[in-house]
Amino acid sequence: MTKVRKLHIDDKVEKLIFIFVVLFAVMALTKGNQILKPTVFQTIARQVSEIGLMALGCSICMISGGIDLSGAYIANLAGISAALVMQKTSGNIFAGMLCGILIGAICGAFNGVLVAHLRIPAMLATLGSYQIFQGIAIVISDGKTVQGNKILAKFAMGKVLGIPIPFIIFAVVALGAIFLMGKTSFGRRVYFVGTNEKCSIFSGIRTKQVLLFTYTISGVLCGIAGNLSLARINSAKADFGSSYIMQCILISVLGGINPNGGFGAVPGVIIAAFILQMLSSYLNTFPDISNYYRDLIWGLALILVLIANYYSDKRKMRK
Amino acid sequence: MKKFKKITQDTEFWVFIIIVILSLIIQVRSGQFFTNNNIVDIIRSMIYPALGAICALLAFVSTGPDVSFPMIGACSSFLAIAITKSTGFNGPWIFVYLIAIIFGAIMGAVNGFIIVKYKFPSLIVTLGTSSIISGLLFGAFEAERTELPANLQAFGSAALFSVKNVKTGLGSSMPYTFIILIVVYLVAYIVLNYTMIGRGVYAIGGDEISADRAGFNVNAIRFGVFVINGCVAAIAGLSYATMTLHYLPAEYSGGEMVVIAAIVLGGAKLTGGVGTLRGCLLGTLLLSMVTNSLILVGISINWQKVFIGGIIIVGTVIPMVQKHFASKNSGIHQNGGNA
Amino acid sequence: MENILSVKGIKKSFGGVHALKGVDLTIKKGETHCLAGENGCGKSTIIKVISGFYKPDAGTIEVNGIVHPHMTPSDAIKAGIQVIYQDFSLFPNLSVMENLAFNQVLANNEKFVNKKKFRTIAEEAIQKINFDVDLDARVEQLPVADKQLIAISRALVHDAKFIIMDEPTTALTSKEVNRLFDIIAELKSKGITILFVSHKLDEVFEISDSITVLRSGENVISCPASEMTEDKFTYYMTGRHFENESSTLPKEISKEVILEAQNLSAKGFEDVSFQLHKGEILGVTGQLGSGRTELSLSLFGLNRPVSGKIIMEGQEVNLNSVQEAQKLKIALVPEDRLTEGLFIPQSITDNITVTRLNSLSNMGVLNKGRLMNEASTWVEKLEIATQNPTNAAGTLSGGNQQKVVLAKWLSDNPKILILNGPTVGVDIGAKYDIHKLLKQLAMQGMSIIVVSDDTAEVVSLCDRAIVMQGGKMTGALEKEDLNTVNLNKATV
Repeated sequence: MTKVRKLHIDDKVEKLIFIFVVLFAVMALTKGNQILKPTVFQTIARQVSEIGLMALGCSICMISGGIDLSGAYIANLAGISAALVMQKTSGNIFAGMLCGILIGAICGAFNGVLVAHLRIPAMLATLGSYQIFQGIAIVISDGKTVQGNKILAKFAMGKVLGIPIPFIIFAVVALGAIFLMGKTSFGRRVYFVGTNEKCSIFSGIRTKQVLLFTYTISGVLCGIAGNLSLARINSAKADFGSSYIMQCILISVLGGINPNGGFGAVPGVIIAAFILQMLSSYLNTFPDISNYYRDLIWGLALILVLIANYYSDKRKMRK
Repeated sequence: MKKFKKITQDTEFWVFIIIVILSLIIQVRSGQFFTNNNIVDIIRSMIYPALGAICALLAFVSTGPDVSFPMIGACSSFLAIAITKSTGFNGPWIFVYLIAIIFGAIMGAVNGFIIVKYKFPSLIVTLGTSSIISGLLFGAFEAERTELPANLQAFGSAALFSVKNVKTGLGSSMPYTFIILIVVYLVAYIVLNYTMIGRGVYAIGGDEISADRAGFNVNAIRFGVFVINGCVAAIAGLSYATMTLHYLPAEYSGGEMVVIAAIVLGGAKLTGGVGTLRGCLLGTLLLSMVTNSLILVGISINWQKVFIGGIIIVGTVIPMVQKHFASKNSGIHQNGGNA
Repeated sequence: MENILSVKGIKKSFGGVHALKGVDLTIKKGETHCLAGENGCGKSTIIKVISGFYKPDAGTIEVNGIVHPHMTPSDAIKAGIQVIYQDFSLFPNLSVMENLAFNQVLANNEKFVNKKKFRTIAEEAIQKINFDVDLDARVEQLPVADKQLIAISRALVHDAKFIIMDEPTTALTSKEVNRLFDIIAELKSKGITILFVSHKLDEVFEISDSITVLRSGENVISCPASEMTEDKFTYYMTGRHFENESSTLPKEISKEVILEAQNLSAKGFEDVSFQLHKGEILGVTGQLGSGRTELSLSLFGLNRPVSGKIIMEGQEVNLNSVQEAQKLKIALVPEDRLTEGLFIPQSITDNITVTRLNSLSNMGVLNKGRLMNEASTWVEKLEIATQNPTNAAGTLSGGNQQKVVLAKWLSDNPKILILNGPTVGVDIGAKYDIHKLLKQLAMQGMSIIVVSDDTAEVVSLCDRAIVMQGGKMTGALEKEDLNTVNLNKATV
């Protein structure tokens, strides 16, 4: 990690914090009475946990020079299997959640094998695998909504010092991800592989292992997200949240991850997830705005952020 | 002999073999494959994805994936239908198509502009524009199930020809949109193979810098590809509504994956520059057969996605393995080295 | 003789960097003119100005006596100027025929494809240099030499009067280079003028009638080839005088064998045996495709041996991965710096410490202070010219980049250092520095294998050399026999 790049990252993170503060101020000023309530914050905290975990997974894959388009479907499959296990074991929520995370890991590892060992371009591998994951989810759930578990739902509604438990889980995992990608030799290797895979091989990095591990981590994060989503909604269905794919990419790019790999910092992704979720809650306070407009805003935001980054990078190059 | 060897290296050849084997298996298991109504059904179900496959092919050969075709199709056909109905226009159906094509071209132009001007990955851009279009369609236009205007209704209900299976008593009719499919493929074939612009699409996919040096207008061609993709998407979208005799926006999403699978099976290379219309058709046929015939063989429709995903992955692995063996067998005297 | 091209006072700058500071270049009709200079001297910029791709900030271009105030690529083509780029600029996915015909068809502004006409154009083109190739083959399936011949034939399609060849010999074996020179001679006999861009001494002297040398954006000399000597040439290119690189000091090579290959075979070579002594520099030389690169990869765990043995320090070792090689303290400076050696957009620090991530961390947690220290130590030791080791490796010149690749492996303290083409694309000054460093390292007891096709380099640097050809080891030269004449004899 170098001084210049650190500054560079802080630069982007700073910008994101600024956007976050401005957005918050706008929200407080225009809709203060509806926004500045603990329940609203708690809802935001709950929702950001799921999308945030998936976006983290997607970001790590992007840093490694690939992409994970299957995250939302891994989460669905994990949620459905967790729910089914809970049903079969007559309410063993730990077995269920463990199964969800395990399914996430297996799906992620499957992606990892496709990308690292079979050399399929990540975009295509995860495009194909997401069909498979969704397909399996349809098969095991028979295409129907699977009921969750009351104890789990209660647990997820719990709070510690007013902070929702799912958010605490997210915070712990996110800190772990920041540490892993920023401070460890593994994290550094992911950046190297994302910059130039061939050179990584010539530098003694076990690239296959690194990639396999990267996608497995992404899968585990999505597995956890699937559990949280199951707990929050108290049900799971195979075609839940297909728009999450778009949002994950949006959060990653907004958070400063370079879609070509090798650059970008994890803290930015987490702030970006907050920005998006807050914006989403803010939109909820306008009842006349159809929910469907959210798609429009996310799409627009993705393209505009890309364009803004393009111009700011260009300006930097000139300096 | 040399020619035969050349053929066996083609992915298309293998897809063809798989199609033959698969159809024989289905025939043996169900006795229903080589029946006139089943064949018509399969061709009918190919029309929409085969049109989408052209979009995917053009995008992949020249630039990279374009996943916006279902949403552009949904939105432009919605607008065309809405305008036709609100003006009470009841002239020839082709005018409805023209309206859709104009809207499709505009949306494609937006894709093309962003991709050409900023050189962003086309996957991310088209994901973004898809999302925007979907927001417009469902949010701003509040699109929902709509009946077709009378001229389209008539066009959609008319049959090119009908067949009836004597044994089962089941009938099937070939819609006129089949003609549209043939016309679009013919035009695409002529443009891609017999015009310099068409060759340019392959040239920029092969090597962008060389194309520029040779005198191709790289940006114009790439922009043109996305505009054309918008037009074809509009034709596909409206044809889908015409064939189903109603417009239902929710039915469109997800089609992009199937067509990407189809062209990959048909031998298009993800790195660009390679892919044929023949491959598009074969790939689409294979996928349509799989989705249409699962039930004939007695497999639950729930498995459909698993099969499609599996086909995408197997279809991409096979060329990799082939390449691997090819490099293993050729031994020394390769170039310089590079493990 | 009249001039086909005369450019005067060409200036061109990019964002404040002056790439060309007033270049004059005059080329006579029918001659073979060589444009020489180190990397970054402005060679490729002036080519792009002449071919109309860059608009100069100042200066005039005169072709065949006509002044072009604003030359465009199509003006250049109409004036009979054709450029053959280093990368050949072909379409790998298309047929030979289309590759040959496209430029012409596009220049005529034709909109439709006429396959018959394509074939006629292509056939005429390859006949001009008596080149026999399947016009329907896809270009990606052809060997490099054929690709170059396609590029040359394509240039001739246009009735070219003036052909610019940008570093045309880079990817060729010496046999292929000879064939290229024959073709150049033939073109010359047809009255075609050639501007041959190169930085290789021997080539320049072999084929050119006159020489122009560029240095940091200015032309330092133009003269007939007969008036140029090697020493002068080196001086003009670098602006420095070099004491004659003494061929290695007569030194006692240790008897201790550190590495031995016994009848080693792998993809690309077979039945290779040699011994590497402690503290010696062993040359491995041979042409492109001789198996030299594959051999170096096998010794680094990247090309699994199919038979034979590798013995290191008396023990048979398995080398199936880079990690195993790294554990045995074997290091490789690979052939292609840009794709294999460096993470171009990452910092110099990161590039140097990539091999040390394990040893400079605790339980997987990086110690950033130690990483930075390690990097700055090597930047100092190898005199890597940078203001800040946090700058991207891509900001360095070729020679300094190569030093970073060296630092990355020296940092890991190897016992055996393998270098594949250690000074390819490196300017003469840095080449001299790198050679000095390698000799020093050998003196200190490191064993070094230098894989190179540059016979002069092998002679001046190595203590012994083995020669490879067509995947087989065809000879071994001891110190007393190691000279250019013997090597050239052995490699051709």
